[in-house]
Amino acid sequence: MAHLLYDKEWKDVLCRFCATTCGKKGKTMLKSIIRKEILSNLLSYKFSIITILSAILIFLSIFVMYRDYLLALDNYEILQQEHEDFIAVIRPTPLSIFARGLEENLCRSYERGIGGQINAGRKQQSVNNLFRLFTAPDLLYIIKVILSLCAMLFAFDVVSGEKETGTLRQSLSNSLKRPILIFGKWLGGFISFILPFFIAVLLGTIFVTLSPMVDMSVQDWANLGLFLLSSVIYLAVFFSLGLLISCLTHRSSTSLVISLFVWAILVFLIPNLGNILARQLVRIPSLQYFKLKRDQAWVKEFFEENRAEDYSERLEIRSRIKAESDKFTEDYRNHLNSLVRVFQNITRISPAASFTFLATDIMGTGMAEERRLKRAVLQQNNILEDWDEEKGNRPAFRYKRSSIKAVLGPGALSNCLILILFNVLFFTGAHVAFLRYDVR
Amino acid sequence: MLKTIIAREFLNNILNLRFTIGLVLCIIITVACIVILTHDYQQEMVEYHLRVNSQDEFVSNYAYLRRLAWMVTPQKQPEQFRPLIVGIPVNVDFEPFDDNPIPILFSSLDFLFIVTIIMSLLAILFSYDAIAGERQSGTLRLVISNSISRTTILLGKFIGGAISLVIPFVLSLLAGAIYISINPAVQWDGSAWLALALLTAASITFITSFYLLGLMVSTFSRYSATSILNCLFLWVLLILVIPNISPYISAQLYRIPSIKEIERQNEESARNSMKVYRDRINEIAKKFKNNYGELFSEFESMNFGGIGRVGRVEPKHRKAAQQRAATDPEFKAMMDEFHQETEKALEFVRSMPKESDKLKKDMERKAALQTKLAKKLACISPLANFVYVARDLTGTGLRSLKYFNQAKNEYNGQLSSYMDKKKQDAIEKNPIFEIVSFLDVSDRPRFVFKEESLRGKLNSVLPYWGILVLFNVVFFAAAFAGFMIYDVR
Repeated sequence: MAHLLYDKEWKDVLCRFCATTCGKKGKTMLKSIIRKEILSNLLSYKFSIITILSAILIFLSIFVMYRDYLLALDNYEILQQEHEDFIAVIRPTPLSIFARGLEENLCRSYERGIGGQINAGRKQQSVNNLFRLFTAPDLLYIIKVILSLCAMLFAFDVVSGEKETGTLRQSLSNSLKRPILIFGKWLGGFISFILPFFIAVLLGTIFVTLSPMVDMSVQDWANLGLFLLSSVIYLAVFFSLGLLISCLTHRSSTSLVISLFVWAILVFLIPNLGNILARQLVRIPSLQYFKLKRDQAWVKEFFEENRAEDYSERLEIRSRIKAESDKFTEDYRNHLNSLVRVFQNITRISPAASFTFLATDIMGTGMAEERRLKRAVLQQNNILEDWDEEKGNRPAFRYKRSSIKAVLGPGALSNCLILILFNVLFFTGAHVAFLRYDVR
Repeated sequence: MLKTIIAREFLNNILNLRFTIGLVLCIIITVACIVILTHDYQQEMVEYHLRVNSQDEFVSNYAYLRRLAWMVTPQKQPEQFRPLIVGIPVNVDFEPFDDNPIPILFSSLDFLFIVTIIMSLLAILFSYDAIAGERQSGTLRLVISNSISRTTILLGKFIGGAISLVIPFVLSLLAGAIYISINPAVQWDGSAWLALALLTAASITFITSFYLLGLMVSTFSRYSATSILNCLFLWVLLILVIPNISPYISAQLYRIPSIKEIERQNEESARNSMKVYRDRINEIAKKFKNNYGELFSEFESMNFGGIGRVGRVEPKHRKAAQQRAATDPEFKAMMDEFHQETEKALEFVRSMPKESDKLKKDMERKAALQTKLAKKLACISPLANFVYVARDLTGTGLRSLKYFNQAKNEYNGQLSSYMDKKKQDAIEKNPIFEIVSFLDVSDRPRFVFKEESLRGKLNSVLPYWGILVLFNVVFFAAAFAGFMIYDVR
């Protein structure tokens, strides 16, 4: 019964919402609410401190990561000089300034090791162990962790705070519809939050791209645009969530406590829990074990070949051991891929994780890119195995990071849809909660 | 009077919503995390034994001197504290191609995460309105109107708040510790439990420093709404920004020459010494040709029986030379002499000074400087200090990695002297012994990794722990100063 009532009410509300937003009076009402929300935010202490914090962090992060990109570029130049020794080495992308992701992994040199194995060269950062204790402070990190917190701080007292000061009661005593009020509050609050962020990012980007060392192609610009768009969607998720929590509580201090805990759970807990949980679901031998087995296969081959009497026996031994080792390797790689898949599926419950996957994929520093590069390296390795110097020039390694079209394939699109779904869900929740909100 | 204030603060806190949420969250996360990680630890332990056994078995079937060091590389046992803290992987010269990308994007959930993120956030939530909030509700004015000194009030607030904060933490850790103690797969000795106690103490020092940070900000704010914003501002800087940015800044200040470049020079000098060796062998061959004539030409046609050659040797040549030596004593004498000469040449080449070694040392020195600077820069944040203390105390940090590497190097030294001896013995028995023949090496030294003693670990972490205590003192002093001049109206 209650369910039916709820449904009816809901339909009613929707109809009224449409009618009012289309009506002329509703429009002017909405405008004035948005203006009021933006003005009251602009004049608040919260606005100034959050704007200062985010601006400083964005500039700092872009500058630091820009310098780091220059170091990576230097390193690449050195590697490039001796590219004959390597199977592959790719150029760092300027987009790694904004979202580093797996860039350090991607830009290692891949070389042929003993026994047909492929080794990855040591990362330049591996000399400083401290890099392994803390994460990279790129723009992605700032948006994912710090700006999402700021979005929640902007939204946590939108409703409950106004109730406490008593202005909510006065607003609603006029002929103002609740859907317009909540929509106006969302829009006004979000605009006043997102504008300073946009300006800071824009200034930072201009600073970086003015430098002659950073050579951004048209595609890079498009990718950067997509990245910013997806971060706006991501931040909107947290803003809606903060609004929802605000609509569910009656005191802003309660709303704040709940908001902070929910934020910590979504941003840190679920992705990190997913990391250890996925390993429970997909059992995979450790890398050490894998390497040990492959080394053993190689030594075994050498040993048995040396004992062999003639050439044909040798060949037979070689192919037998290689087949064993190949099967083991393939098995391991399949397991690793399924581990990554399970991990991605588990952690998608958290908008922070979906956003990370989406953003790194867009910027060409994500897991999809890594998988693609590794496939290309394996192919190149096979080509080089067949090649000998008499046949002509050494086949060059050509690799281009995924184009926008490839980036927006099913994987990235589903992440984007998840973020939009979260938005719709939270905002609808806030809407419904506000309709039943006791403003006294 | 102090007791009353402590009791009041304590009660006030535990009846609050944030205490309930904090307690529930803390217990659920801590226990879940310890259960999962213990399971992980069990699996890793099984795999570790598998690795060691596989090495043993392999070496008993396929052992030859040239690759022995490869086949018995020291395996790292999972850390004792793996059920609590996920360690950092060992650094290797060549990174494997098939490494897992997930840990780069997301860190693991462990005890360190719970303390540094969840508990520090909870601490700030407990204390941000301790002064400003009470002023707003008007109770602070009433309290002060009694004959209580401000020092007592502040101290009472600190102790009461800290107790109510530590309770959920210790309770959840206790639940985790009970799980560890009844789990038969985890065998902890006395020193491990002592380390856990020390870890708890260090965590409490860290948590109270954030409680005091909140208190300090609160004494400088008029409204709790401003106070929480300022607190979160500082929290973001101290927890999320400073530690992460410091390695990057130090990498800018101390540039390190490219590792690949140095590796290349290393290879070049290796190639160079190979060339010198080949030249020497050619010289020796020339000399022998003059001395022995025909006999040596025959030996040469057998590809020197595999002696002194660089690269793969045909077994038929080796066999032919051995058979020839068995029948002809003159041939055998020549072969032995040739063998000795090549060994001498090898010794000479090995003793040549290498330019690349100097470069490598220079790089290592610079890397050490860079790491040290990054470590010091990060010390501005209590989080970094706590991470150093917690990781080094439990043997899951950089220090234990260094210790492991030392043990590994020592073992490699032992192994190489063992191999030299083995080689000498084998040569005495069989003069044309080759480094690629099978050897029984069941009496080789075994790698046993003994962790650093708790005393040594404690000594190394004390400075960082001291900084944590200093943070407490500074924040308390600032809170004290702020409260002394606080306008309670």
